[in-house]
Amino acid sequence: MELLLQQIVNALSLGGIYAMLALGLAIVFSIVRLINFAHGELMTFGGYGIFLSMTFGFPPFAALVIGIGAALFMALAMERVTFRAMRGADVVSLLIASFAVSEILKVLFQNGISARPVPISFPSSWSGSYQIAGMTIGVVPTASILVTFASLGTLTFVLRRTAMGMAMRAAAEDFEMLRMLGVKANRVVAVSFAISGILAGIAAVIWTAQRGSVDPLMGFFPVLKAFISTVLGGLGSLGGAVLGGFVVGALEVLTQAFLPDRLAPYRDAIVLSAVIAALLIRPDGLLPAKTGARS
Amino acid sequence: MKTKTLLMASAISAIGSAACAEDYVIGVMSAQSGYLAPYDGPAYAGFQFCIDEINAKGGLNGTIPVRLIVKDTRSDIAVGVQVVQEMIDEGAEFIVSSADADPTIAAAQITAADMIPTMTFAGTAPVLTQVGPHVFGSYPADNQQAAVLAGYAREQGFESVWLVKSPDSAYTLGGPEYFGEAFSALGGKVVGESNYSLNQPDFSAIVTTIQGAATPPDLIVTWAWEPDFPAFIRALRGAGLDTQVMGGDVLDTPTIRGLGDVVTGVVHTSGGFPDEGSAYADFIDRFKAATGTEPDNNYYVNGCDIAHMIEQAIDAAGSTDPAAVSEAMAGIENGEGIMSNFTFAGTDRMPLRDVVVARISASGDKEFVLRQSADPAILPKP
Repeated sequence: MELLLQQIVNALSLGGIYAMLALGLAIVFSIVRLINFAHGELMTFGGYGIFLSMTFGFPPFAALVIGIGAALFMALAMERVTFRAMRGADVVSLLIASFAVSEILKVLFQNGISARPVPISFPSSWSGSYQIAGMTIGVVPTASILVTFASLGTLTFVLRRTAMGMAMRAAAEDFEMLRMLGVKANRVVAVSFAISGILAGIAAVIWTAQRGSVDPLMGFFPVLKAFISTVLGGLGSLGGAVLGGFVVGALEVLTQAFLPDRLAPYRDAIVLSAVIAALLIRPDGLLPAKTGARS
Repeated sequence: MKTKTLLMASAISAIGSAACAEDYVIGVMSAQSGYLAPYDGPAYAGFQFCIDEINAKGGLNGTIPVRLIVKDTRSDIAVGVQVVQEMIDEGAEFIVSSADADPTIAAAQITAADMIPTMTFAGTAPVLTQVGPHVFGSYPADNQQAAVLAGYAREQGFESVWLVKSPDSAYTLGGPEYFGEAFSALGGKVVGESNYSLNQPDFSAIVTTIQGAATPPDLIVTWAWEPDFPAFIRALRGAGLDTQVMGGDVLDTPTIRGLGDVVTGVVHTSGGFPDEGSAYADFIDRFKAATGTEPDNNYYVNGCDIAHMIEQAIDAAGSTDPAAVSEAMAGIENGEGIMSNFTFAGTDRMPLRDVVVARISASGDKEFVLRQSADPAILPKP
């Protein structure tokens, strides 16, 4: 029982990161119909922001804030330089453009910083653990869960209780109607990118705290999982993206923990098969978007 | 007039070809991006540095200038196969392949037809030489490293080990398995195993499994590389487990040593150690003076040693014929290297070389522990 509870903590910790990344993807997709595969590079850039600021002697907490700021800056730059010029392009063109941006940034990271992972050495107290009801729980996974839920709570508040949040939700429903009502499209889109950048930055903070290094390919795999999460949850559905993230995280952790050794090499295949099975039963995802953007 | 011009052009071309024919052409697969770039980059830098030194002295053995053809594989095996074919078409008589078993095996399939000797920059999985008699390792193989490390672990009194391995590569799977075999042969016990995927996002589930094991291990061994090892060790220490961790030579990097407290005391194998006054220390000085870069891992010096292995094989063969060079390379006994001496004779072309065991200190330095050759009595078979 204790083992199961500990694995649930692990699942919440991993699922939370996927949920934040998936939410970042979903917010942008719901408004501009862009599946941004360069979202992983926002996370990587945030990680390098942390690394560089610690290298230049900033205290760890300041470095984390700088990392989130770096991801935010990169998200806004990406929108302004690449995607604003492609406003109205079809989904495939946007997708290919996002792949191109992703590749360009990876090559820049490899050649401009290092092809090797670079270490991030946080204070040893951040790697500690504590006992609760006979379980040993790590400080970082706990912080990860708390930060995830705090971020999601704040975002929910912004989307539901602020004028910009309502404009973004309205844009997700019918962007053209929103423009006809006089809401500035560029601002709504920029804010959606900014939110996705902040979420990627927070994910970078948790990711680097858990993994201790940053490399040019750091963002690729988590964003791939986040993309799967958005499809599972319902492409374009914000709540679905969060749910999908937690489901994928839980599936990964629980199969890692409880699959017999002989089935372990098939773990990823089993997780993805479960996702496909869920989509066969609910083709629009677990919590489909109201606009019905099918996955 | 046209005929004269044509004749003149043919003559110049013929003279040029004759001059080039004296060069020994070496094709180099070097990933400049992707997962192999951190290993191919330093290895190629060390190789090129020593080839330049050799050329400055008149070429291999003072008589045969070397011409390099270097092509980027982007860490993609399909691209690697393509560039090897291109290099052969351009006259390559020797291929130096990427620092991993899989691209080397793919390259060796292409070079097999002409028996062109093919040597990996730093692939250590012993299976890579099984492709044919023209394929060579250059670094101490995983089974040698595992045997030496297992011997050290048993000497230190460790009784039980948990193996953390990934079936996604020959290196990450083979290293821990060879260790388990040698450790068991010395009386130790493998009490558990965990599998992970390369680039796995999270290791907390594995750590929780180890934490809840019926028989807690007193040692954890993994051949995980970056960024998986940093993620694993942070998850392990973050969960409050201070079990001793040991690993393969891939932990011998400044990135791992820079992880702070979580890696203090981690023990790993290594290909060499730059003792004061050694040829290795001299190489570091020369390389730094010439390039301004300090070689901070063994791939640089091993790249240099590959140049010396080729030179000694051609000297022994007395020719540059590919088959003769392969045969001569396979017969080298106690060849002189900078990182360590090497013997191919009597092996399956993974060289016998000294293995260093090192420990990461609290200050993040690499501390020398021991240097020895693998004991043939406990050397696991590939």
